[in-house]
Amino acid sequence: MIDDFDKLSVTELRLRGMTSDKILAEQKRRGMSKEAIHDAWFPKPPTYNRIGSRRFRRRLVLATYTGWFLLAAILLMTSMALPGSIISLEALPILLVANGVVLGVWFFRKTYISREVLSSDKGLDERLVQNRNQAFRRAFQIFTGLILLAWPLSIAVMLAQPGHQGFVDAFVIYFAVAVLASTLPTAIWAWREPDPLEPEKLQV
Amino acid sequence: MAPPIQNRIAVLRAERDLSRQQLADALGINYQTIGYLERGDYNPSLELAFRIAEYFGLPLEAVFSRQPFAPMSSQLYRKEESA
Repeated sequence: MIDDFDKLSVTELRLRGMTSDKILAEQKRRGMSKEAIHDAWFPKPPTYNRIGSRRFRRRLVLATYTGWFLLAAILLMTSMALPGSIISLEALPILLVANGVVLGVWFFRKTYISREVLSSDKGLDERLVQNRNQAFRRAFQIFTGLILLAWPLSIAVMLAQPGHQGFVDAFVIYFAVAVLASTLPTAIWAWREPDPLEPEKLQV
Repeated sequence: MAPPIQNRIAVLRAERDLSRQQLADALGINYQTIGYLERGDYNPSLELAFRIAEYFGLPLEAVFSRQPFAPMSSQLYRKEESA
């Protein structure tokens, strides 16, 4: 019998010559629950394994922001082409939904680069805390610049376009700032974090 | 620019037949961090450096150095020759 049975995964036990039947029999003999046996055979990847490749994350960042800004541009152009119509006001709830989709993409993918980034240091080691802090610092710098531009720009569009068109344009700017404020740190981290390494044994 | 900090973590891990995950669990850090340490992409804090050295039961300078490490086998051979 393998001494460190408890410490090894099913794959490792198989590599050490134990057959599937023997592994299952030993698990039952040790009084493991059905759930524990299931988890041993079908292990869930740890949260930090699910960060995907850097290429995938960068594509996701580009697709998310490009999609959002394309939608905003289409809605703005439509409302300008049909001034005073109800279509221009409909742009606002559509953009709210778009914001919701972007937030959903970033916050509900269960990876350590999503909601954990904004919550606490739990599960983050010193390197990850450092990366998170760097992402926040960079996001703050970008966001400050954006706010300095967005604030006078929104006033300018409202003055230049009296009536609800100016109001709609200003709200689009507000939504753009809102979506960036809530997702920039995560997006920056996703952009920078290198490709994950497999936790395999070193071959020597 | 300061020279990069060299380390022997990969060799020590291989000697002890440890996976990155096992070493990371023992040190209480993310296994990706072990990989970045081994590749030289990340320099540990002094606290983590001590923890790693203590885990392997070696002095800090045996695990980390400013100068590139000579192969352990040649160091060992030299030691045996001089003894």
